Amino acid sequence: MTFRTVVIAGFCASLGLVWIIESGAADVFLEATRSDFQKIPLGVVGIENVGGPESPEGRAKLGGRIEEVLKADVRRSLVFSLVDLSTLGIKAGHQGAAPDPSFKQAAGNGVSVIVWGKAGMKTDTKPPDVNMDGYVYDAGSDEVVGGKRYAGSTSVVRLMAHRFADELVFRYTGEPGIARTKIAYVSQQGTARELFVMDYDGFESRQLTADGFLNLMPHWSPDRRFLVFTAYRNRNTQEIDMIELATGKRWTLVSQGGLNITPALSPDGHFLAYSSSHEGNAELYRLDTRTKGVQRLTTNAGGDLSPSWSPSGRELVFASDRSGGPQLFLMSADGSNVRRLTFDGDYNAAPAWSPRGNWIAYVCRTPKKGYKLCLITPDGQKRIQLTTGPGVDDSPSWSPDGRHLVFSSTADGKSQIYMINADGKDLERITFTGTHNSAPTWSPAS
Amino acid sequence: MVPRVVIFEEGIDGKHPPLYVREDILQEGINPMKKLPTSYLPLILGILVAVTPACSKKAVQSGGDAQTFQERTAKSGATRGGGVSPNFPDTAFSGRENSNSLRGLDHDPSEERLNGDVGSYGGFGGNGGPGNNRDRLMAKSDPGAAARQLAEIRSEQLASAAAGLRDVFFAYDSFSISDEGRLALSSNVEWIKSNPSTQLKIEGHCDERGTSAYNLVLGEKRAKAVRNYLVELGVVPNHLSVVSYGKERPFCTEHAESCYSQNRRGHLVVRIGE
Repeated sequence: MTFRTVVIAGFCASLGLVWIIESGAADVFLEATRSDFQKIPLGVVGIENVGGPESPEGRAKLGGRIEEVLKADVRRSLVFSLVDLSTLGIKAGHQGAAPDPSFKQAAGNGVSVIVWGKAGMKTDTKPPDVNMDGYVYDAGSDEVVGGKRYAGSTSVVRLMAHRFADELVFRYTGEPGIARTKIAYVSQQGTARELFVMDYDGFESRQLTADGFLNLMPHWSPDRRFLVFTAYRNRNTQEIDMIELATGKRWTLVSQGGLNITPALSPDGHFLAYSSSHEGNAELYRLDTRTKGVQRLTTNAGGDLSPSWSPSGRELVFASDRSGGPQLFLMSADGSNVRRLTFDGDYNAAPAWSPRGNWIAYVCRTPKKGYKLCLITPDGQKRIQLTTGPGVDDSPSWSPDGRHLVFSSTADGKSQIYMINADGKDLERITFTGTHNSAPTWSPAS
Repeated sequence: MVPRVVIFEEGIDGKHPPLYVREDILQEGINPMKKLPTSYLPLILGILVAVTPACSKKAVQSGGDAQTFQERTAKSGATRGGGVSPNFPDTAFSGRENSNSLRGLDHDPSEERLNGDVGSYGGFGGNGGPGNNRDRLMAKSDPGAAARQLAEIRSEQLASAAAGLRDVFFAYDSFSISDEGRLALSSNVEWIKSNPSTQLKIEGHCDERGTSAYNLVLGEKRAKAVRNYLVELGVVPNHLSVVSYGKERPFCTEHAESCYSQNRRGHLVVRIGE
């Protein structure tokens, strides 16, 4: 620790913000959605089936299903507020690229964006071919600002809606949207726990591993192509593995005896931080993915685990029981400048640094011995308990836009996966099958 | 700097006594004759060449083309302690996938054909038709792996039950062994000493409260506490291994203290298989 950082750290206690600027961490970014952010009123007229109810698309209720996915995506974007157009005199059934005269009237009632489209299906191809056209009317300019035309098999119908939703978010915010993101998680299969991946809304889940034992705590690579996780291949030893999603190809990254847990790749992919107890108790290490060199980051008698990278990759937040129960600590990515972040309660663990940098989510034990989600600012100045009620909440993971968290909870009995806004609103359960789903981790945006 | 030492606790081939090899010797091939008994020389040379069938097979299985010697020995379970370098494949992170990036809204949009990205799979409404790419994501797993695991777990359970080994139970948040736990372990020692060829595995378990990750740390502390007490009672450390399962392999799943207390456990298992 240099003299300068000591001086700055001294200031930090009373002037957290000053410290962040002084250290040049640049881990706090401006939020696109401030608390006073005005959502853009958007109405979906409908995605109409090209043929009648007896047409292939009509029988498959294709348009209605796309519309349902699209509306849910628009609502979860938190960029738009979904307006019910039927109350404004806009009739369903609009299909063509030209705007309906009634749109202008809706614009006068405060609707900023109107979306509509059509869906068709060709059954003479094998597999059946699906088409979806979507159009966007902007009330400000009183014109159709553009559209999209998608084609593909029946297996990509939900993806069509997700892509269209992300195009809308991109058009109005310049951000890629989260509708095409994925959530990797652990699911009980018989007596084993295996890795799965699903769409961010809980649909289209796919099994990734079938080892018949334990695979735990997956974490994404920044390019979305890989997951790193803890595996027990022969039941007796742990290792950190990596799996390529597209091929199922698997590598052993760390296998040293003892615990090999909580791997996390840095935002640039240059480092793998993880916890290993091969030198005694659980300590944090950093593997350089290019030179393959390993650096030990922590040295103390307590257990150090669960490293989470700041968006700049310059800092890590982690859990450590060096002072009794687990608490959160911060340090530079080279292991220097360690300082304790949490002082409330006797159990704070599983930290996850927001991709926007402004919050760290973690599991806090409440005075009534509940395990709930909390948020704390990296300067420790602000702390919020995000979830309440029964059950053990665990493994918070941020959406790439920093507006949502996914986590596991036993609130409904068995461990299932839930989504919640960073402001504590819109709690939504997203897994419904199986006896145990846990350790969700949200992919980066594509 | 003092070089670190790699410990082959069970000897290199399981017959020799524990072997301590300096890491710099393994890495740089310093003549081991100067430091080690001559009888080990062929073994060490064999490792340095690292062409044993078992090792190369493992390398193929994991798809690693750049695996170091150190990692292979680690995978074979022969090493304990420090000095074993992890590894990372060179193939990774060639850049972000760009094929799925958004193309923006157009006045006259051209058709975008969607094939699904890395995670896009499965069928519309959950019923996958022939056109879906269901096969794309499935890991190339050994189809017999799950069945083999189950069979081994069963024989471990049978052997452990036959041995009559008693488990140790812990208090909430604690890894200290109670008087009752000490009694249980004392009664185990007799059996362990009269079965000196048996390898015992001590599993550390936790109840469902707390985070998955921290419970793995707590589970290891419990397992190590059990091991240390057994060693205090005279059990040879080489016969004991520890593994933490945290809260991932509970004995019961009810949300009640009657169940939690069963899951906070140091579980002794007669080790079968690899």
